[in-house]
Amino acid sequence: MLGQQILNGLTIGSVYALFSLGFTLVFSVHRILNLAHGAVFMWGAFFGLYAITKLGAPLPVAVLFAGLGSAILNVILDLATFRLLRRRNSPEFATMVISLGSGLILMNLAQRLSETRVLRYPFGTFPLTIYEVMGLRISFLQMVIMGSVVVVLGFFLLYLYATSFGRQIRAVAASESTAQLLGVNPTLVFMQTFAISGALAGVAGLLIGNAYNSVSYLMGQPYLLTAFVVVVIGGLGSIIGAVVAGLLVGIVHSLSIAYIASDLRDAIVFGATFLVLLVRPTGLFGQITSEKRVGHA
Amino acid sequence: MDFLFGYATLFDAVLISCGLALSQYCVLRAGVFSLATTGFAAIGAYGAALLCVKQGLPPAFAIAVALALGATSAFVLSLPLARLRGVFQAIASFSFVQIVQSILFYSESITGGSNGLNGIPKVIGTGWLFLWIAAVTTLLWAIGRSDIGRALGAARQDETVAVSLGIDVANLHRWTFVLSGAIAGTTGALIAFHDYSLMPETFGFVLLTDVLAYVIMGGSLSVLGPLVGAAILTLLPEIARPLADNRMILMGMILVFVMLYLPHGVADSLRLIWRQRRRARVPQALVPEVQAHG
Repeated sequence: MLGQQILNGLTIGSVYALFSLGFTLVFSVHRILNLAHGAVFMWGAFFGLYAITKLGAPLPVAVLFAGLGSAILNVILDLATFRLLRRRNSPEFATMVISLGSGLILMNLAQRLSETRVLRYPFGTFPLTIYEVMGLRISFLQMVIMGSVVVVLGFFLLYLYATSFGRQIRAVAASESTAQLLGVNPTLVFMQTFAISGALAGVAGLLIGNAYNSVSYLMGQPYLLTAFVVVVIGGLGSIIGAVVAGLLVGIVHSLSIAYIASDLRDAIVFGATFLVLLVRPTGLFGQITSEKRVGHA
Repeated sequence: MDFLFGYATLFDAVLISCGLALSQYCVLRAGVFSLATTGFAAIGAYGAALLCVKQGLPPAFAIAVALALGATSAFVLSLPLARLRGVFQAIASFSFVQIVQSILFYSESITGGSNGLNGIPKVIGTGWLFLWIAAVTTLLWAIGRSDIGRALGAARQDETVAVSLGIDVANLHRWTFVLSGAIAGTTGALIAFHDYSLMPETFGFVLLTDVLAYVIMGGSLSVLGPLVGAAILTLLPEIARPLADNRMILMGMILVFVMLYLPHGVADSLRLIWRQRRRARVPQALVPEVQAHG
């Protein structure tokens, strides 16, 4: 029973990790806390759903659709809002409020599109096969979720650490003005990070939409809140932290629902977030020098 | 006269929004990015309602207790939050709101959980709400014009400079927090005695964004800002009925446009323009160089 719960937790946690990775990437490179990330995630589920139901696309194409659609959406979001703010050199408060506002707009559009209904993926999108491994029941969907998270994470790290684009992104994260002096085009970097972040959110949206088989305009909100928890515990801006903390939060979620009380789930994880912020504000994997996050007092 | 009563509910809604907006304004004015107002309001509302319904205490006493509850919980929360700034303060205070909400859901035997807390006597009408908002506005206006107001402005603009000028920023932040908590707690209690019943989901993410939007819409430099913002955003969906379906788009657009083009909010931007005009009439050489937002 315990093993089964941990396995379920790992599945859901790997999606949390995927979702939080994009969130933490944008923050670490641009210092933007993108509160519209949940809405982009939700649109990923919609893109995938419409690719399957309206275009009759097979699942791999739908995944591509969800990732690409959300990537484009996120880049548009950057160009339409954050870019304007950057010219004015506005504080982080303004970026947070703007992303909150654009998230609301995206949610309302999805609400109109879906007519406030909860939509479902057609039956058999994922073959309902369940395997027994060492007494644990693991469905094909769970395997696909964990597998795709590993693959996406691999590509992500490869891109960030083994290509010249990745080097540019890391240079901008270290210092935007210095990177610009060295010939890096920051606009291009912004577009890349937002595209990657959107694609990760979109794929996560499709996976979650399938795992619970429900797609609604409100589905992004709880995951955005979970992403807060994940990035704070893992350390805002830390990639490995986001993965480990994502898995951890997934396990805590499924264990607290199984053994304690589902209503207390949020109290437990947000209580942990609060404690981490107090005891170790840089998170479990954050670097102390990376952020001016602790006040003078 | 009769047609005015038809709008009484709407007027009450505006006043309640104003109360919460004033609480949020308190912290933002001091440069503290806390979103805890919703949590304090929940504590005040449930505290007062439970005292009245379960213990049979008079509402006036319950409201006074709610004020104390709000202030105390704000004081306790201000101790850990003093260590954090900016985004991290926002996330921590947001966690607080989530924790309060999920405890309200969980403790079903006391708070009624998701069934809500019902049978609260309705003793608060438009008059009392108006009196409360007027009192808080006067208080905050007086504080804004005093030395403390100037210290708050300095702390918001540049904390390091404020400290070097001899302002005890940590202390200042703590007391604005307590004031914000007291206002939110009392407003919460007034909500409880105005609405007959309470639900935990009232005090969640939606209310939190709404309250933040009020202050951003109006501006957080003067006490006028939250009042104007709360009035506009509460009335707008009612006046423009066809827009009510697209309430989130409306809210979102307003947040984006105000932040982009009127970063000081509607009320404060107008006030600053007016002040600049007035100054323009005086020969420039006679006017000492003053920061636009003091």
